[in-house]
Order: sequence, then C-alpha cells, then structure tokens
Amino acid sequence: MGTVLQFVVLGLGLGAVYIGLGSGLLLVHRATGMINFAQGAIATWGAYVFAELRNTGTLVFPVGSVDLGEPPSTATALVIALATAIALGFAVHYLAFRPVQQNSVLAQVVVSVALLITIQALVVLRFGPNKIDVESFVPGGTVTLLGAAIPTRELFIALVMVVLAALVWCYLRFTRMGIATRAASENERAAVLMGFSPSWLAAIAQAGAAFVGTVAVILASSLTGLNADYFGLLVVPALAVLLVAKLESIPVLVVAAIGLGAFQSLIGLLVTQPWWPVWAQSGLDQVIPFAVVMVILFVTGKRLPTRGATQQIRLPDVPIPRIRPLVAIGLVVAAGLALAFTTGTIRFGLTTSLILSLLALSYVVLTGYLGQISLAQSAFAGAAGFVLSKASVDWGIPFPISMILCALLATALGMLVALPAFRIRGAQLAIVTLAAGLGIERFIFNNYSLSPPEGNPIADASLFGMDLAVREGRDLSRLAFSLMVLVIVAIIVWVFVRVASGDMGRAFLAVRANERAAESSGINVRRTKVIGFALSAFIAGIAGCLIGFSRGQLSAESFTVMAGLQLLAVAYLGGITTIGGSLVAGLIGPLGISYVLMRTWLDLGEYYELVLGLALVLTAILNPVGIAGAVRHQVEFVRRKLRRPATSPPIDAPRREEEASHV
Amino acid sequence: MSDGLHARELTVRYGGLVANSEVSVDVAPGEIVGLIGPNGAGKTTFVDALTGFAPMTGEIELDGIRIENLPPHERRAAGLSRTWQSGELFGNLSTTENLLVAARSAGWTSLARDVFGRRRRNGRDVVGAALEMVGLTDIADTLARDLSLGQQKLVGVARAAAGGCTVLLLDEPAAGLDSMESRALAQRLRAIADAGPGILLIDHDMSLVLTVCDRVTVLEFGKQIFTGDPTAARTDPRVVAAYLGTPTEVGHG
Repeated sequence: MGTVLQFVVLGLGLGAVYIGLGSGLLLVHRATGMINFAQGAIATWGAYVFAELRNTGTLVFPVGSVDLGEPPSTATALVIALATAIALGFAVHYLAFRPVQQNSVLAQVVVSVALLITIQALVVLRFGPNKIDVESFVPGGTVTLLGAAIPTRELFIALVMVVLAALVWCYLRFTRMGIATRAASENERAAVLMGFSPSWLAAIAQAGAAFVGTVAVILASSLTGLNADYFGLLVVPALAVLLVAKLESIPVLVVAAIGLGAFQSLIGLLVTQPWWPVWAQSGLDQVIPFAVVMVILFVTGKRLPTRGATQQIRLPDVPIPRIRPLVAIGLVVAAGLALAFTTGTIRFGLTTSLILSLLALSYVVLTGYLGQISLAQSAFAGAAGFVLSKASVDWGIPFPISMILCALLATALGMLVALPAFRIRGAQLAIVTLAAGLGIERFIFNNYSLSPPEGNPIADASLFGMDLAVREGRDLSRLAFSLMVLVIVAIIVWVFVRVASGDMGRAFLAVRANERAAESSGINVRRTKVIGFALSAFIAGIAGCLIGFSRGQLSAESFTVMAGLQLLAVAYLGGITTIGGSLVAGLIGPLGISYVLMRTWLDLGEYYELVLGLALVLTAILNPVGIAGAVRHQVEFVRRKLRRPATSPPIDAPRREEEASHV
Repeated sequence: MSDGLHARELTVRYGGLVANSEVSVDVAPGEIVGLIGPNGAGKTTFVDALTGFAPMTGEIELDGIRIENLPPHERRAAGLSRTWQSGELFGNLSTTENLLVAARSAGWTSLARDVFGRRRRNGRDVVGAALEMVGLTDIADTLARDLSLGQQKLVGVARAAAGGCTVLLLDEPAAGLDSMESRALAQRLRAIADAGPGILLIDHDMSLVLTVCDRVTVLEFGKQIFTGDPTAARTDPRVVAAYLGTPTEVGHG
C-alpha cells in the first residue's frame, strides 16, 4: 500500500505538467476556439531560458544572446524566464494565431503544428540536442506515510500548479476580462459590446497560457532534467486531459491531470511485476492517454462543444485530375533521366523525394479530398515498415507480396483510426490521431521486445532474378532501386488519379463539402471515411516499406510523431489538394533532395527544420493552396493573359516542379 | 409496384418541446401534396424526421417497406429523397458533379471500378435527364457556389431527383424565386410528378402550393390542423386563423 502511495505521489510531477499545459490549452481555446499543439514547446522554451541562465549566466534569445557574466539569482532568472514566456505568448498570438483566426480549421491546426516544429528546432539550435539539468529550487525531503517515504517535492509542485489553475479558473469566472473571453468564444460581438477587443483578450490568454505552462515545465524539469522532445510532446496527454474536461472545465481538468499522472506512474510500478508480460512493458503509459480519449469521445462524442460547428473546413478547391498520357510519360521519363544522370547522395536524395511524395499523397487523399485531419500518417508508414522487417527476414516472404501485405496491415490500422472520425472532426480529430500516432510509436517502435534496439534489418528486394537492392559494395544508391521506386510511385499516383477522378473521389469531395447533404444524397458518410482512411494508410504503408528498403533497416527515428508532423508540414507547404502539391512536398521533404542540397552545398542542414517550420507558418497564413497551387494560379493567370488556343500543350504544376528536380 | 409514402403519427421531441405531434401524411405516386403552415409550425422538422435527420417516433412506410429505422443514406437509396431549405449544394463541385454524387454509388466496389473499370467520358448522359427536367443544361459545368440562389434551388431539386426516387420532399424550393420563376417551377414539378414520383412540397408561396398541389396538409405548432382539398383549405376557418394569427380553440400543443 505504501509503495502504491509513493508511486501515486511520484506521478504528481507529471500531473503538474498536465495541469499547466492543459489549463493553458483551455484558456487559449476559450479565447480563440483554436487548439495550440505548440503549447508544450512554448513552455519548454521558457524553461530552457531559465536553465541556461542558472547554468551559464547566458540569456539566450531566438537570435543572439547576452552574457550576464555571473549566473543571476534563482529569483531573477525565474522573472526573466517567465517574462520571456509572456513575450513569446504575445508573439505567438500576433504572428501566428491571429492571422489564421478566420481561416480553415486545417490552417489553424497547421499553424500550431508549424509553431511546434519551429520552436523545437530553435531549441535544438540554440540550446543543443542533449538533456540539460535544471536547478531544483523546490524544497526537497520526504515524509513517512503508511510506512513509505513520500517525496514532498512532487507534492509541492502539484500544489503550485493547482493554485495557478485555480487562478485561471477565477480569471475566467470572476473578472470582467475573463467573462468577456468566455463570451467571445460564443460570439465575438459580445466581447466587443463589453468593451474588449477579442484580439487583445486572445493575446492575454496566450500569454497567460505560456506563463502557466512554463512554470509547470520549469518545476517538473527540475525533477527529470530538460529535454525538448519529451516536454514538447507532453502536450499530447495534456490534450487528452483537455478533452476529458470537455474543453471548458478547469476543476475537471485538474482532477483528470492528477489522475492521469498518477495512473501512468502506477503503470510504471505495475510493469515491473514479475507476472507482467515483457512485450507490454514499454510504452503502455502512452497508450493509456489515447485509450482514455477514445473512450471519452465515444461516450460523449457529439456533446463536445465545437465552436466551429457551423464553419466547415474551408479548403482550397480541388481540380479534378485527368491523366494526360503525354505529360505522365514525360514526367516519368524526366524523373528516370534525373535518376540516371545523378549518383550517390544526390540520387539517393531524389529517390527519397519520390518516396516522400507518396507520403504527402496520403495526406492529399485524406485531408485534401476527404477533409479529415490525421496526424498519424507516419505511424501507418512505420507499422508497415516494421512488419516488412519481420516479413522479409523472419518469414521470408518474397518482394512485391511482402510489401503489399505490409501496406494492407497499415490499411487495417488506418481503418481503426477512422473510427473516431465517425464522431468528431477538425482539430479534435487531429488530437485523437496524434495521440494514436504517439501510442503506436511508444508501444511498438520504441518497444525493445517488439523492435530490437540494434535495428530491424530488411532483406533487399529482388524480382524475377533482378537485384533491386539499394546498395552494392561502394555504390550507396543503385539505379535499379531508384527505378523500382519510380515505377511504384508512378503506379500509385496513377491509381490515385483514377480514384480521385471517379465516383469515389467525387464522394470524398461531397463529404468534405457537406456531410449532411452527402448523407441525404445517398452517400454512406461513415463508409466513405473508412475508405478514405484505408486508401490513405495503404499509400502511407507502401511509402513506409520503400523507406525500409532504402535504408536496409528500420529504426524508430524514421517514424516518430515529429517526423509525421514534418510530413504534414511539407504536404501542406507543397499543396495538400493536388498531386503536383505532393510532388513538391517530396522535393522539399525531410531527407529529400532539397535537404541533401542544403546540407552538401550550403552546409545548412541543421537549419532545415527551422526553415521548414517558418515557411509553413507563412504558407498557412498567406497561401493556403501551397506552392503547387500558387504556381498553377500563376500559370492560369498567364494563360488567360495570352489567350492561348486550347490546343497548346497543358503546362501544369507537376511538370514545372519536375523540371526543377534536374538541378 | 409503387405504393408511395405513408407516414403515420410522426412525433418529434426536442427536450420538452414537441416539434411534431402525431403528424400523418400520405403521398401517392404522381401526386403533389402541399405541406404548409406558419413559421415554426414544424414543416422542416417533419421532413428531417422523414429522412432520418431528426429523432422521431412513429411509422414510415415507403413502397410497402418500413424505413423509420434506416440511416439517412439508406432511406435515400430506398427512394425517399429530399432537398434542403438552404440549398446545401456541394459548392466546390460543378452542377453535373453535384447530380452525379446522388446518381452514382460510392463504396468498396466503386473503388475497384474507379481504378480498373472503363471510364465514361462524362456523366452528362447519366444526369442529363434530371438537368433537362429543371431546365438547367446550360449551367452543367458551373461550380455550384457560383450559381444564383434560384439556380441553386433548382439544382437541389435536380440532385434530389437524379438517380430516381419514389417520393421527393422539397423544402421551400420556391423561396427566393420571383413570380415568373415560381410559375415555371410549378410546371416543372407537375412534369416531374406526371413522370412517376410523388412530391411533398413545403412552401410559403400560397399561390404556388394551392395551384399545383392535389392535396394539402396544414401544420400549426407541430400539429396537423387540416388535410384535404386545396380549395377547401382556403376557406377552412382553422387554416385562415393559423395564417392570420387569430386565436382559435385549436390551441397550442
């Protein structure tokens, strides 16, 4: 009993972070109607500033830094760090959130995902990738209760966060500004009538959220050390807690946060029991938040307040694709030539770009056509890749069959993740799919008993005696492999065009435009969503297998949630509604050709994620059609100007992008 | 053998509010039945209940088959089709594509058909008749959101009729039309009904309803206060009172 109590109290440290991030998320949602996926990353920045001040006496800004000589006192460092957090909150509001206030839900999700990527990248650039220690200024010690030593530090931290959450609750309930904030979430005019600018209220909320979150991360990181990835992604369980609180109740949020923290801590105790199966030891604490969210959503589904209920996901128009045989052949030949006339890392970069364009295409199917936001695509790809390792090495299944089987497994996973989409949409679906992705990552990819730490080797592909291995001797990138990838990508794109221009694609677009009208027109909306998720996950699965073949083995790092978010970023950046967009996305995607060139020619590889994040913020705000869409608009504009006869060969975005790849 | 629509004692409750109280309506094939009543009488709620968009009790029979437990898309497949007061077209699709959504099925088999099947060059042959019926062949390729309100209403009617149906439920198709368009619509509705399907027509335009309908049902505060001949409805004291707002003994439900 004493040990159980001890572990419950140890879980309070985690619970305190959930309270801090969760009440910030709630505050921002009340003020803006948006979910801030970057809440954890924002809080992490302030904590790093604090730690760096205390450790080295340097005040680090996103650009530049000031050396204060001596490390300042704890109190001074705290004040500076929290002031930084508040400034960051204001910046986030005015530079990122306010510009997309009237945009689609997708643009809003993308902006905060972009912020997450940007801030994480900045943290690594400015503070280094390693875990750093944080001074523990909270009085430590233990009290003995029920025969167990209970740490007081966790108790104190939780107490501080409960008090801060209570202050947030009081702000929303009793102050005129707080009441106006709540009114604004129903109707912005109401806030104006009370004499407040909704934008100012939202800015205050962002600053408050950053403050509360930063306090939580500073306190909790004194227990564990500070790590950007870890604390940045604690936003996922915090989002789970937020959903439990139905996005509005601070008291419920506090109870749920403490409960979840304690529960995760207890699982840590449980898995050390001798009777507990070894394969389920790792990652279970991450599966729990997802399970909690699923259950809550299924029980209370439609009763969650959806501020944007009347506002549909307004996405850019989708041009119905047609296969122009000449253009298609030209594209494939051009890509083939590009692969043939390059070698080594450049060819490998091009090949990776081709694979990435498939991953981006899976977003085009799901988000561009069906209007559903999924952040679990990299988990689908990863699941297929991991099974491919077993299928190709342990079970000896031959090449094309093994790949298709693994992609079908990803398909099944995708259909499972489609179930929450029956009840929810928009940003909430993004939360659930993010939690699902994180659960899969921690439970399967990072689970050493399922995927050994020394790597998951994948047997090279061969077909009819043709050797399709990626490497041979000193040749790191064989042409045969690259051409195989090209053929597979061409086939998948062809299938996509057939579906997108057929009855199914039309049904996707109808569901995206208006679910009610689609239902009354005889479309089974649920089945359509399942098919969309299945198709999208299948494409992602094929891409995962190709990534596996190209590396020769798979490690968890290839398919982390962050990698998935980066892919959403490039898919959106390229243009999430068109094939051209997915090709562009492939070219600019992580480890693709642009990255390779940036690293080898400009020596700027370490800035890749930062540039990506910033470009994405700008795209979400200014240019929802992405790069491919912008190019097409320009081309149409020029064509209209020139009044070209219709017989001239079509100049479309994909071909232009493909030409760019000759560089 | 078409038997039309028989709705018996449909009741819709929203919390304590009774939006429809035991409303019964029959629509035979080829017949146009008007559903009229003042604002808030529960006309749209009745259509929502019939098509599965509002929780209801009661019986709905279409061509001799009970459909009250089916989800909306299966009721549509069974032959009960509707339009929406607010149009609710797929704004990002062209007129033809809007009709094709209703006319073509989309499931796992169509996924395979899309990939491997032969593609018809365009869907005009499939939905051409429905477009011709409402006289909109010239806007077949226009995006739905670029259409005028009157055109959107007509495309809504054509979409509901596309692919065939037993009974059409039209929720204020004439709202926003001028009197000439309204008269043209009346002729088109008559032509649709003569071709087979029954029509339940909701509208505020009394002259349209009374000229084109074979029978009318009048709702007030969710209750059915009159069913019968249109000319009789004109002089029925309860109907007159409901429309003029005079208090009557047929009080609040």
